[in-house]
Amino acid sequence: MKNIKSCCILLVACLLLACFAGCGTSAQKEPDPSADGGKTEETGIHFTDMLGREIHLDAPVERLAVLTAADCEIVYALGAGELVVGRGEYCNYPAEVLEVPSVQSGYETNIEQVMALQPDVLLMSSMDQSQEQVGQIEQAGITVVLSNADTLEGVYECIEMIGILLGKEAEAKELSDGMKSDLAELAEKGFNGEKSVYFEVSPLEWGLWTAGKNTFMNEIAEILGLENCFAEVDGWGMISEEQVLLRNPDVIVSNTMYFGEGPTPTEEILGRTGWENVSAVKNEAVLNLQNDELTRPGPRLVDGAQALYDFVAAH
Amino acid sequence: MKAHKESFRFRDLLLFGAALIAALILCICVGSVDLPLGETLRVLWGAIIGKPAEDALSSSIILSSRVPRVLCVAFSGAALSVCGGTMQGLLKNPLADGTTLGVSSGASLGAALAIAFGINFASLPFAGTVVMASVFALVSLLIILGLSSRLDNSLSTNTIILIGVIFSMFASSGISVVITFSPERIQNITFWTMGSLNGASYQNAILLGSVLVICAIILRCHARELNAFAVGEENARNIGVNVKRTKLMVLITVSVLIGVCVSVGGTIGFVGLVTPHMLRMLVGPNQKRLIPACLFGGAIFLLLADLAARVIFRPQELPIGVVTSIIGAVVFVVIFCNARKGR
Amino acid sequence: MLEIRDLRVQFGKTTIVSGLNCKVEEGQWLMIVGPNGAGKTTALGAITQAFPYSGEILLEGRSIRDYKATERAKRVAVLSQNHYVSYSFTVEEVVRLGRYAHSGGLLGGRRQEDEDAVEEALAVTGLSSLRKQSVLTLSGGELQRTFLAQVLAQQPNLLLLDEPTNHLDLVYQKQVFELISDWLKKPGRAVVSVVHDLSLAKAFGSHAVLMHHGERVAWGTVDEVICPEKLDSVYDMEVSAWMRMLLSQWE
Repeated sequence: MKNIKSCCILLVACLLLACFAGCGTSAQKEPDPSADGGKTEETGIHFTDMLGREIHLDAPVERLAVLTAADCEIVYALGAGELVVGRGEYCNYPAEVLEVPSVQSGYETNIEQVMALQPDVLLMSSMDQSQEQVGQIEQAGITVVLSNADTLEGVYECIEMIGILLGKEAEAKELSDGMKSDLAELAEKGFNGEKSVYFEVSPLEWGLWTAGKNTFMNEIAEILGLENCFAEVDGWGMISEEQVLLRNPDVIVSNTMYFGEGPTPTEEILGRTGWENVSAVKNEAVLNLQNDELTRPGPRLVDGAQALYDFVAAH
Repeated sequence: MKAHKESFRFRDLLLFGAALIAALILCICVGSVDLPLGETLRVLWGAIIGKPAEDALSSSIILSSRVPRVLCVAFSGAALSVCGGTMQGLLKNPLADGTTLGVSSGASLGAALAIAFGINFASLPFAGTVVMASVFALVSLLIILGLSSRLDNSLSTNTIILIGVIFSMFASSGISVVITFSPERIQNITFWTMGSLNGASYQNAILLGSVLVICAIILRCHARELNAFAVGEENARNIGVNVKRTKLMVLITVSVLIGVCVSVGGTIGFVGLVTPHMLRMLVGPNQKRLIPACLFGGAIFLLLADLAARVIFRPQELPIGVVTSIIGAVVFVVIFCNARKGR
Repeated sequence: MLEIRDLRVQFGKTTIVSGLNCKVEEGQWLMIVGPNGAGKTTALGAITQAFPYSGEILLEGRSIRDYKATERAKRVAVLSQNHYVSYSFTVEEVVRLGRYAHSGGLLGGRRQEDEDAVEEALAVTGLSSLRKQSVLTLSGGELQRTFLAQVLAQQPNLLLLDEPTNHLDLVYQKQVFELISDWLKKPGRAVVSVVHDLSLAKAFGSHAVLMHHGERVAWGTVDEVICPEKLDSVYDMEVSAWMRMLLSQWE
């Protein structure tokens, strides 16, 4: 009984993390959407979404609801923010999106709330809903487009797909090309594995969680030539405090939120007993990223990478 | 052949003490990171005689991470199983425990509220969650027992478990509501409810240890009353036990203990169910022996469970509650079946 | 020794006992008799403060409410009719619980008089050889005797018995009643018991209270109360005829 409960909590936690980060089980990649779709030559828009579902739209999108924070950022980055009539509750960037009505998302997605927004298209990540519920929404005449980005490559695909969906292919190409070249530039200047980094997803007080392989954080670390201390951990995992001490990271990146009371996350890490000999703590190389830059499969990954690069370079 | 004396004898103390020390040493020497035994002992000895260690890494791993955690685990285990043991006596119900009665969930709800609304007392880092968890543990206990005795005066096993399960669900929903209303803290609360003693500090250990000592003494002083309750509440009244006062005293003590444990380590299920049951088979149901046995046995059980949680998938960890729940669920079924057969 | 004045017990809106008056003096054995649902057991429970009541119960001239639980238990002991045990306490441990009120002290230090009382209670009830046995393995009769031993170890002046031999075979019935009868011979003692079996009540009791629907129908010596004129209307049958019919089988 308790056992099941724990599993449920674990599942919820994973789902939540997945919403934030778009990591988790890697779904099969469908052929590149641009290969078989994306033409508006007939009377509408035809393409395959990231779960391989055929999407047909007779007219351009006029009312769009977005449940996933990263997708929302892409929509705004493509300059289509005015189409958004509803957002998932965790969509908080850019700031103007906060004026759009919000609905529950992720694990708690509420079909009625979505319908009430009367969108033409609902854009969300494949984690958000079961097949049955997607079917229900579609029966209500809302076209559901599923994104599924758990790698950088996936982010580019997602940008491309949203570009096609919104008729902004050119802007989409520009956006991903920009990201690619920025990241390539960072990779050029990278650190060649000279420094190690430890990503802290949950603070010590609640058990240490880190990001291992198959996460954006890890991918960004690789691009920057930083060695992820916990590269062998698959996805997100709870790790032992003593393992962090043993692996002695040069840089610690924490995405703990700060609520304006008690020590800041950075201060808290610097003040931990027993950590005083960890290089990152010795050199005060602790970076607290508060704004999901490294956890969201969206255009701001580049900002996160840049911030991390600048920070490491300065220490 | 049982001894004439009812209390814990010197021999028992020696035996349990030795087992506990062995478990402590094992848990300090074996961990997520492999350290040579000699090195570990050198660091420990150095700390005892006050000589700074040469190797900073193993010193901080052992002294800053492992030892406080091991202490917290031992104290939590002892506390939770003493709670289980005394509740099982008080309610004359072998399935009573913080988890099955829903008290832990209640305490979690209190702690979640404290986290969500940032309830804190400036000078003491943990006080907010500790107080809220303890108060909610007590309130839940009173609600559960109140409801059960309304339904069924004899506080029978089935009624209590049923109400406990219902209350657990209620409290879990409460936590979900709290999460919904403070989405920005969702991570904190979710991670916390899974239970972890990772990163336990000496302050935690001191808090747990001192509360445990006080509460264990209080409970041990009520051992005879608890024995009377274990034979039957009516019998306890007949032989002159002040039933109401004893009940209230024990329930408050247990709530404080569970509250403190929950606020330090999250919900660690089933420890309070499994260990008293096993120990009753060893030392019998007499609380004069059972309480000290629970102190030692609970500590040993949770130390070993935590060791498993740390080592099996290293460098990753399992939440300790998962390990105890897996063992606990199996033992729960065994007890339930035996209890049925006994009727 | 014990005086009950206008005792009333209500559970919610249901009145179980309404206005019971009676008195027990030293050396008396008061039998509370009456049909099922007459309120006999409830009246007994009120004496042990098991539930709220109105009216007055005086123990040695003082309201029993004013006694501390331990002080009361040193004077009044109760033997209930059913015992469900969940844990494997030994017979001796259960009997020793009877000394709770006497041996104060937080750590319950061992006193010789407690030991003697336990030994005597075990010997009198014939349980000395079973002292180390788990109560879970006892027969119904042995279990009842264990609790009887506990009650005796309590060394009360007043013994309250609720159907002490309800589920027991005749051997135990005889043993228990003779035992209590002997116990009562010592000065300063009295017994109150709820009994269904009217013949037993008549044989062992000195006084009796007849109850019906929570009310006292009669109170007096056994001969005054347990007689056809009083019983027949309460039980709505010819009690003595039925008893005689049963006994005539043995002639």
